[in-house]
Amino acid sequence: MKTFINKTDSKLTNLVAFDDMILTTELPTTAGSKMLDGYVSLFEAEVVNKLKKAGYNLAGKVNVGEFNVDLMGETSYFGAVTDESGNLVGAISEVMKDTDIVATIAVDVNGAQRRAVMATDLVYLKPTYGTVSRFGIIPTACSGESVCVIARNASDLEKILNVIAGHDDKDGTSIDDSRMNSEKASAKAIEKVAFLKDMFAISEKDACEAKKALESVGVATADIDSGVLSKAGSAWNILMSAELTNNVSRYDGVKFGYRSSNYTNIDELYTNSRTEAFGELLKTAILYGSEVLSTNNYDKMYDKSLRVRRVISEAMDSIFAEYDAIALPVASKKVFTAKDVADNAYLAYEESRFTAISTIVGLPTIVKCGYQIIGRAFAENALLDLLRKIEKEGA
Amino acid sequence: MEKEYLIKLEKVNELRLEDAERENVLAFFEKRAEDLASLEEVETSNITRMVHVMPITAGIREDVAIKKFERDDLQKGAPETTDGYWQVPRLVE
Repeated sequence: MKTFINKTDSKLTNLVAFDDMILTTELPTTAGSKMLDGYVSLFEAEVVNKLKKAGYNLAGKVNVGEFNVDLMGETSYFGAVTDESGNLVGAISEVMKDTDIVATIAVDVNGAQRRAVMATDLVYLKPTYGTVSRFGIIPTACSGESVCVIARNASDLEKILNVIAGHDDKDGTSIDDSRMNSEKASAKAIEKVAFLKDMFAISEKDACEAKKALESVGVATADIDSGVLSKAGSAWNILMSAELTNNVSRYDGVKFGYRSSNYTNIDELYTNSRTEAFGELLKTAILYGSEVLSTNNYDKMYDKSLRVRRVISEAMDSIFAEYDAIALPVASKKVFTAKDVADNAYLAYEESRFTAISTIVGLPTIVKCGYQIIGRAFAENALLDLLRKIEKEGA
Repeated sequence: MEKEYLIKLEKVNELRLEDAERENVLAFFEKRAEDLASLEEVETSNITRMVHVMPITAGIREDVAIKKFERDDLQKGAPETTDGYWQVPRLVE
């Protein structure tokens, strides 16, 4: 069990940690995979550059599940992080416990970070897609993955967001500053929140506690059906796997990364290197993605998912015409155990039904105490204001 | 999905599974059929694909060659190199 894969001098102040999907030059970046064990990048991710320039210091690299597609880091080559009771705790929450680390910067691909903080006092923010540069992030599912921040309170989330947000020419999906600023200026405060009642019905997490917290700060709440939003997990599973298959095809044991010692020709080199270095979930996801993109399935799986993504986005717009935010649980359970993932290695594909709702359309999301609140595009400040009010009330 | 087809997929992706792993993967594929059935319930015939979640203008950079890294640096992470080249097994006998 490892929380930090590599660590720097802990005597420094103003510390931030990065999950092991974010490239750094002073420490290796492994993506939680044997394939990249010991790999050191020649350049740093834009988020690392920006934070260093703003005076933050690198605390270390936080353990992640292989390419960040799993439930809570259980597929890491370096081992899952569990507590004494065998509960999966997620490396992020362990790293932040009893330390001076201000925040951990991570890459949310399939919701692992949201699940990692759901049973802790930590708070989480995933900004609108395109707000934070993805340059220097090991790509997994580029059309939905986002840099996210985990901290102890809204104020620290805001401090970090103000440093890392902004246009970057090096990232083709980065939003123009002018658009970002004008959208932010017109963002509305959160006064009315829609609760997805059928998502709460399939979760151990009760809606009452969250409603009480919101109502205590003057926010109105109402129950709605999730409707087509309930299809987000299915569509994201397909898109994520397809994109993953393409993105990890570069790891072949030739130019960088792991190479098997057992080969007599180039095909064996490729196959044995990939077979020995990738874990079971990743191999399964690669094969599934390949099937999704095959001639026979491209239209009915990949193309269909892209169309469903549009339908979900339009459904979100309709909800946001009446409400300022959407609330739902982070997961079906309050806590996941090592046994849960031993019994079902593909649990992350089932749990994506909760986290993919905001991932698939790139909307900003905050997490506190196992609840997610999704805002309109560029409504990060409104979400953080809401979080600050809840913190002030002690709700 | 048949096991033979899965083996073909493995080959395309330069992977090789053990038989026990294959059973798990086949069960996973069967479960994913539920995802597909769930999506088929959504009417999308007049809907356009959503590739980018935010409207973006693809940035086109100046077509200028920039030498950022030396070859030796680029090969630091390589499993095997010879005289500045990436080393692979002989391709042509």
